[in-house]
Amino acid sequence: MKHLNEEELIELYYDEGTSAAHVHLRACRECSTLYDGMQRDLDSVKTAQVGIRGAEYGERVWQALSPQLIAYEKRPAHRLWWAQWKSAAVAAGCAALLATAFIGGRYWERHTNRTTAVVNANPPATQRVLLVVLTDHLDRTERLLVALNHADSSDRAENGQLQTEARELLASNRLYRATASKAGDPAMAAALDRVENVLAEMANDPNLTAEDLGRIRTDMNTEGILFDIRVLLARTPDQGSGPKPAKGASI
Amino acid sequence: MQGSDHSVVQAVLAGNKDAYGALVRAHSAAVFRVAFRIVGNEADADEVVQEAFLRGYQRLETFQQRSGFGTWIYRIAVNCALDRLKQPQIEAEFRYGEEGDPEERTVQVASPDTASPERLLLSREIRGAQQLAMQRLTATEKTAFVLRHLEDRSMNEIAEVLGVDPNAAKQAVYRAVQKLRRELAPLRGTA
Repeated sequence: MKHLNEEELIELYYDEGTSAAHVHLRACRECSTLYDGMQRDLDSVKTAQVGIRGAEYGERVWQALSPQLIAYEKRPAHRLWWAQWKSAAVAAGCAALLATAFIGGRYWERHTNRTTAVVNANPPATQRVLLVVLTDHLDRTERLLVALNHADSSDRAENGQLQTEARELLASNRLYRATASKAGDPAMAAALDRVENVLAEMANDPNLTAEDLGRIRTDMNTEGILFDIRVLLARTPDQGSGPKPAKGASI
Repeated sequence: MQGSDHSVVQAVLAGNKDAYGALVRAHSAAVFRVAFRIVGNEADADEVVQEAFLRGYQRLETFQQRSGFGTWIYRIAVNCALDRLKQPQIEAEFRYGEEGDPEERTVQVASPDTASPERLLLSREIRGAQQLAMQRLTATEKTAFVLRHLEDRSMNEIAEVLGVDPNAAKQAVYRAVQKLRRELAPLRGTA
C-alpha cells in the first residue's frame, strides 16, 4: 500500500485533498496517526492571539491619516461623462486594434506557410529568434544558480547583485513557464516552475544573509535544478547549428 | 456594504476627502488583523494599517469597481506588511535569540497536576516557541502561510496577492508547514 506523503497530508488538512487520499486516510492507521500529529501541530498555531482593537480604532486611524491626505480635484459632471466616454472609446479602439492584428496575423500565417512549404523546410525565423531568447534566459539562470552555489555568503554586495538578477529573471521566467504549459511541454514547465520558486525566494528575501543562501541552496536543491537546466539547454537547438528542429516548447 | 463602499469611493474621487474616513473606519480592524499576523507585533501592524490606507487613497483612481474595497485594501495591506517584513530591522528583531542548540529549546513537560503558574509559564513558552518558529520562515513563506492557515484564503487569492503562480504559492505554504512542524517538534506532547 502506498502511504500518503506530507504534501498530501497537508492538502487534506486544508480540504484540498483528493477523494482517494481521503479514502486512504480512513483506511490506513499509519497515515491517520501522522495526520493527527500534523493536525495537532497546525491547530496549536491557530490559537495564537491577535492584538485586539476596539471600535474606536478606525476613528483613531482616520484622525492620524486625515491630515496627510490631499482632496481629489472636484470633477464636474460633464467631465465625468467625458471621462467615461473616453474610456469606452479607448476600449473600443483597443478591441479594433486587436481584431485587426488577429486577422492580419491569420492572413500573414497563411501567406508565410504557403511560401515556406515551397521554399524551405527550416523552422520559421521567429521561432529561431524566440528559442535563442529562451536559451539566453536559461543561460542566465544557470549562471545565477552557479553563482548562488559558490557565493561568498558574507559578501553583501555580491548577495545584492544575485538578488537583482533574480528579480529580473523572475518576471521572464513566469512568461516562459506559462508558455511552456500552453505549448504542452510539461518537462520544461516543471523545470521552470522549480526555477521560479528559487527566484521568488531570492527576490523576496529582504537582505540575503549567509544563512538565507545556505537555506535556499538546501531547501530548494539548487544542484538538482541546475542539472535540469543543463538538460533543457541541451534540448534547445544551438544558435548556429542550422535547421535542427526544437524539441522544447516553442517560446 | 460593497455597493455603499463603491458610492463612497465615487464621492472621494469627486473631491470629498472626508468620505474616505467611512472606509477607514469600516475596514481598519480587518486590515489590522492581517497586518498583525504577518508582522507579528502591534506597533508595526499599526504602521502597516496607516500605510495601507494612505497607499489606498493615493491609488483610489485605479480601484476596479468590480471587486470590493475591502478585498482591495486587504491586498494592499498584505503587500505593505510583506514590504515591512523585508526591512532589515524587522529581520533583525526576528533573528534575535534564535541561535542555539535546538535541544536547549526543548520545553520541559509539566505534570497534569502542576500548579497553575507553572501551566501559565508552559503555555507562554509554547507561544514563544510558535512565534519564533513563525519568525524563522521567509517573508514569502510566512505571508503565504498566514493567508492560508489563519486568514483562510484560497491558493489563487494568495498567488494573486504575492504575484506568483498558484503552484508556487502552494509550495510556499507547504514549505512553511514543514518548517513549522520541524521547529515545533520539541513541543509535541507538552501542549
